[in-house]
Amino acid sequence: MATMSERPANVFGPTLSRRQFVKAGGALVVGFSLVGPEILKGDAAKPATLKNSLDPTLSSSWVEIHPDNTILIRTGKSDFGQGSTFTAYRQIVAEELSVPFEAITTVVAGDTDRTPDGSGAFDFLGHGTPNIRKAAAYTHQALLDLASEKLGVPKDKLSVKEGVVSGGGKSVSYGDLVKNQQLKLTIPVKGDLTSIGGLTIEGNPPMKPVSEYTVIGKSFKNSIISSKVAAKETWATDVRLPGMLHARVVHPKTIGSTLVSAGQVDKTKYPNAQVIVKGNLVGVVAPTEWEAIQAADQVASATKWTEWKGLPGNAKLYQHLREESDWTSAPVSKGETDKGDAGAALASAHKKHSATYQLSYMKHAPIGPTMAVAEVKPDGTAHIYTHNQNPQALRGEIAMMLGTTIDHVVVHSYPGPGHYGRSNGGNAGAEDEAVLLSQAVGKPVRVQWMRADDMQWSTQSAAALSDVQVAIDEKGKIAACQIDHYMPAMQDDRPIGAVLAGLPTMPAPQVKSASVTSTVNDLEDPWIYAPVPNVAERGHGTFQVGQKASPLAVGLRDHSMRTPGQFQQNYPRELAISEAAALAGADAIQFRIDHASEERVIGVLKAVRDASGWDTRPSPRPDAVSTGSTPVRGRGVSLMLRSRTYWACVCQIAVVPSTGAIAVEKYTIAVDPGIVVNPMQLKRNVEGGAIMGISHALFEEVTFDESGITTDDWLSYPIPTMADIPEIKVVLLNNPKVGAYGGGSEAANALAAPAIAAALHDATGKVIRRLPMKAAYVQASLKT
Amino acid sequence: MVTLNVNGVRREVQAPDDTPLLYVLRNDLQLIGPQFGCGLAQCGACSVLVDGKETRSCVTPVASVVNQEITTLEGLPARWAKQKGLSAEEARTMLHPVQQAWIEEQTPQCGFCQNGMMIKATELLESNSHPTLAQIKEAFTTSGVSPNLCRCGTYVAIIEAVQHAATIMAKGR
Repeated sequence: MATMSERPANVFGPTLSRRQFVKAGGALVVGFSLVGPEILKGDAAKPATLKNSLDPTLSSSWVEIHPDNTILIRTGKSDFGQGSTFTAYRQIVAEELSVPFEAITTVVAGDTDRTPDGSGAFDFLGHGTPNIRKAAAYTHQALLDLASEKLGVPKDKLSVKEGVVSGGGKSVSYGDLVKNQQLKLTIPVKGDLTSIGGLTIEGNPPMKPVSEYTVIGKSFKNSIISSKVAAKETWATDVRLPGMLHARVVHPKTIGSTLVSAGQVDKTKYPNAQVIVKGNLVGVVAPTEWEAIQAADQVASATKWTEWKGLPGNAKLYQHLREESDWTSAPVSKGETDKGDAGAALASAHKKHSATYQLSYMKHAPIGPTMAVAEVKPDGTAHIYTHNQNPQALRGEIAMMLGTTIDHVVVHSYPGPGHYGRSNGGNAGAEDEAVLLSQAVGKPVRVQWMRADDMQWSTQSAAALSDVQVAIDEKGKIAACQIDHYMPAMQDDRPIGAVLAGLPTMPAPQVKSASVTSTVNDLEDPWIYAPVPNVAERGHGTFQVGQKASPLAVGLRDHSMRTPGQFQQNYPRELAISEAAALAGADAIQFRIDHASEERVIGVLKAVRDASGWDTRPSPRPDAVSTGSTPVRGRGVSLMLRSRTYWACVCQIAVVPSTGAIAVEKYTIAVDPGIVVNPMQLKRNVEGGAIMGISHALFEEVTFDESGITTDDWLSYPIPTMADIPEIKVVLLNNPKVGAYGGGSEAANALAAPAIAAALHDATGKVIRRLPMKAAYVQASLKT
Repeated sequence: MVTLNVNGVRREVQAPDDTPLLYVLRNDLQLIGPQFGCGLAQCGACSVLVDGKETRSCVTPVASVVNQEITTLEGLPARWAKQKGLSAEEARTMLHPVQQAWIEEQTPQCGFCQNGMMIKATELLESNSHPTLAQIKEAFTTSGVSPNLCRCGTYVAIIEAVQHAATIMAKGR
């Protein structure tokens, strides 16, 4: 089979070669291939023999055309409920190839040995050109070359409709083009497979003009929803391997404790259970799940740990951040759009707004706790079956922990409970523990965290505070804006089981980091008020709270969460802009429009104003009141640019001053992502993000004492119920002239907080500058 | 040995009496509709119908439901078929109207909680064929031992799906 002659052809740089008359029917197919170290940096020591990987330089690793005209696509990006891999990705590929949506019958996502590109389950639309779009575009060109040769018609005289290439009175289907041939199209790829960004397809293949779109823009249904609803999907939670043991981990008493002695299993009660100890990692395994749970509880009560008190406690959090944290070791980030002399303009301001804004730690809080099944085989190869946002990064972390190369680690992805960014740098919590326990017992092991494990031992979204100063001139315009953002390192990608076991991991967050775990606080919220003459934005970073005091370098471990970093920066900015509007005696939406120059910024603001029934006037409302038991109403607005998508929202609230209870009554959100790929999918993503945003604004706060996190269930960490949701109106602004598609599943969760806080000001005349706005806190704040 | 009546079938399992029903369903009977969410009856991801009542299987000892009729997500089509006098053969090729509506309204995002949401919707619609918005909110918030929680925030889509399911059920298919 390998003796066939290869005939190369040039396809916009990439090379197409064919091996003809392959007996197996042929296809534009994929196979395991040798991959060089420039692509797979994680295996630089053994470049030529990387098994358990696809060759990302073959277009057929991404898009596979079959003789029966069906198409398979592969992406390293797992689905976390956004649905993009099953809707938008199919639509994009169908569009570039000019085939029906239904022709793409299979989507392979996330498995490290079966998908090419890595990276995380975020930014699916890749600023308008995700890898899968380029892969499809390259494949399309290769198919045109084949058709040109087969039909004897110049390429530029060919057209494609419904997967059939026509020209010169002749036609041939894609399926017939690839039949009995093994086609190998090599495409340029760059990047680091196991990094957070994964691999990127290079070059600029021609793409279909937006004006010719027929598939993008329609609400095709998400195929995985059907299988989940019908109980036909295999979830990560459903994976069972022969001989598998169930496990629970006995996590330390405090986040800084070390093991004194592990408890023994009471064999009279739990005869089949077994304790596994590796460093400070204590696990209990048993053949049945119920025995594992009960035995772990019993072992936990008999296990002794050192005491540790290295946290400030959440009551002193902001004081600790302000007064006791090292903000000098990390270089200060400066805004790319800084201009003028904000300090001078503030010093001579006609009016000045100056305030500090605080935002608490929040949990990703998946509705199901993290879990994984792992099997370490006799040859040392580890297979992990889990729900993960960046399986290739997890692969790298597990290889590092085991002291092996990434070709000895395979991660299999399955659907699971969304966790909103927690594993975009590799691990969600249970994976490494499952590997270590499997290695210890020589059998497959399923580690399931309990609710308290997930609340107390997972990472969280970093707390932050910001000092904002806004100068208003005599004409009521912003003369200057100066913002200093303070936030501990927001991403710690160390697997916690490896840390507890004392095995190799990447370092704890430090100033200089090879990945994204630096203590530097990057500026994430693009400045959107271009006409403001003087702007100074600064990001100040530090170590994680408790990290330096911990014997394990484990403090309050942070991790990026939906709209990471940008939430922490947009909330203070947008609330401050609303306050500045009030100071200027201006309407908050008109004030924003007056300080914008971009058409799309003004477009979303006008759209949200019209759709919400906004009454144009300054805040607070003339009859604002901060006392009494009668609900008072107000409205606020917020604005954001994220991943090339423009967002604005209006929240209309009712608050009862005597109780402090806020009810969001109406939530209106306008979204301009450029081209809307799938309106129904985008609408559902936006609605969900909006509700999560209300949750962040009103409910979510990680509490902790000096030893660890004290929120451990849904009572201590409440999220909204159906009774808490307002009337939600989503306005999708399809904007084809942008020529690209922006993201839609982030940002919405960050918009509510500044809008609700502004609405509270509108209603009561008082501003609360700390999240969450829980009733008791609002009640107390309104009294002062 | 415990004998259960699950989805209209008698099933015998070897499990201690105090084993939560959830683990028996998932690990012994391979009924994977119900999910482990909290183990504390706080979220509803594990819900099943026990004699038509939405029940948190994560805190329900298996021995406590031996003489009762248990329906999981997998059993919803057959439950509907029986109610409509359709054959078992028809039940195998159809979905319950609640499931149909959940697909047509594209309700789930990650979908992990939606088992409990569909179980709760079925319980509601079996007793109230045309619930008002307030009644839907009441059902998902205060009717059970705790609210049914969704972290992805699909409550709007759930409400629309319940209303859609009511319409399908009124038509009889």
